[in-house]
Amino acid sequence: MTLFKLLSRFAIAVSFLAAAAVQAEVAVIVSAGNANNALDQDTIARIFLGKVSSFPDGSQAIPVDQNEGSASREAFSDKVLGKSSSQLKAYWSRLIFTGKGTPPKESGSDADIKALVAKNPNLIGYVDTSVVDDSVKIVFKF
Amino acid sequence: MVHRKSGLAAAVLLACSPVAFSGDLQINGFMNVTAGALSTNKISQDGYDDEVSFDNGTLVGLQMTKQVNDSTSATLQLISRGSQNYETEASWAYITYALSDDTDIRMGRLRTPMFYYSDFLEVGYAFNWVRPPSIVYRMDMLSSISGVDLTHRFVAGDIDGSVQVYSGRFADDIDLYGDVYNIQMRRAAGLVLNMNYGDFGARVSYHQAAITMDISPDPSGRPLDQLAAAATLYNVGADFIPDEDKSKFYQASVSYDNGSQAVIAEWTALEHETAILNNDTAYLISAAQRIGDATIHLTYTATADDLKSGTVGNVQKLAKQKESSIILGTRFDYNSSTAFKVDIQYNDEETVNGKDGDSGVLTTVGMSLVF
Repeated sequence: MTLFKLLSRFAIAVSFLAAAAVQAEVAVIVSAGNANNALDQDTIARIFLGKVSSFPDGSQAIPVDQNEGSASREAFSDKVLGKSSSQLKAYWSRLIFTGKGTPPKESGSDADIKALVAKNPNLIGYVDTSVVDDSVKIVFKF
Repeated sequence: MVHRKSGLAAAVLLACSPVAFSGDLQINGFMNVTAGALSTNKISQDGYDDEVSFDNGTLVGLQMTKQVNDSTSATLQLISRGSQNYETEASWAYITYALSDDTDIRMGRLRTPMFYYSDFLEVGYAFNWVRPPSIVYRMDMLSSISGVDLTHRFVAGDIDGSVQVYSGRFADDIDLYGDVYNIQMRRAAGLVLNMNYGDFGARVSYHQAAITMDISPDPSGRPLDQLAAAATLYNVGADFIPDEDKSKFYQASVSYDNGSQAVIAEWTALEHETAILNNDTAYLISAAQRIGDATIHLTYTATADDLKSGTVGNVQKLAKQKESSIILGTRFDYNSSTAFKVDIQYNDEETVNGKDGDSGVLTTVGMSLVF
């Protein structure tokens, strides 16, 4: 029980930290090798909602999501897509079962996403600005 | 039965693939558990009576999609419905081929895209009601078709949308007002245009098919056989035996959803060449307000038959229907993949088979999951 309490306290502390980090900033990133330098919110939302599948320069765009429950994901859904997690789930359930679309792949946390995006110029993700380095570039910040 | 074959074809395709259970196989599912009861047996609504029933609206669906290569995937959707003794049926089974990033061709057994909610008609999680109002969402039994469709997505300025065209056929025994009829729809085809602009959406569609049914004039037969028998007495019997008779279906809807408030209005009309089925129009208007994890919604829905002229119309009067409903409901998002819902529907059956009808209340409680 004590261990459980300790763990839950730790979890609460972590979630507070995460919340504080979100207030800091979340950035939408592409690989440093991607030709697009800045994207507007509409374009990003369309890519993440599966409405378009290419960057403005015509190259293929593959969005990657953070795992459900991550603070960056909550912030991204809320501020960029303008949808709560339930609304987003309802949106995708309308597409999945018609074969008309599949949600972005859940691919881990801030660090995982940064590493993935850095390696593939077709990927687009969002991370806490604290993990951003030279391997990726910021195309939108909120 | 014809469709089981295409289901099997896709299943075989899935099974034969050596990496069937690798990361390329995507499995999704949905489930609705529903309980409902009517306040009176004087009305009929969605198959319920005055005793609580769990089977009518309970179903589970499993969808498997296998990405065969970059441009081709195979999808199989299996559904067990309580209303059909939980017999498992391949509702959808199709191969998708991506012509380009924006254009897909699908072949196999598809959902007929007649209504705004057609594509996800049974995925309760995707809408607020326990089930979409059946006054508008009629013709459940014709919701699948075997054929081919093409969907093209486009972006034009601030508008994004899609155009879908399909063609195919359907033949099966269907349940109509509690009796079984054999129906064949040939040369079925349709066009759907879908557009979104910010929080606004619009959808218009047109569908047509040549309909043949096993109607034989018989005063002691099924209700539609009796109707055809009555028509024969008035020398218009031939009009009541559908034999490759064209039917048309028109649909238009507008919707708005800003995340907190949502509104949808949908209008539909059926136009039959044959006189055995009455022409009708049906529409719904619904508004919803989200408050945190809860949603409260209110819907008005109505339908009225439109009879042909002369003697034929006089016979059609025997089957004339007119009804309306008010639905007050709530949805509670229990977590991000489970919703709990309660709908109270006041149903006023003004005209049933040409006579005055009754009114009553249908209460349904449901749980919808996606996984």
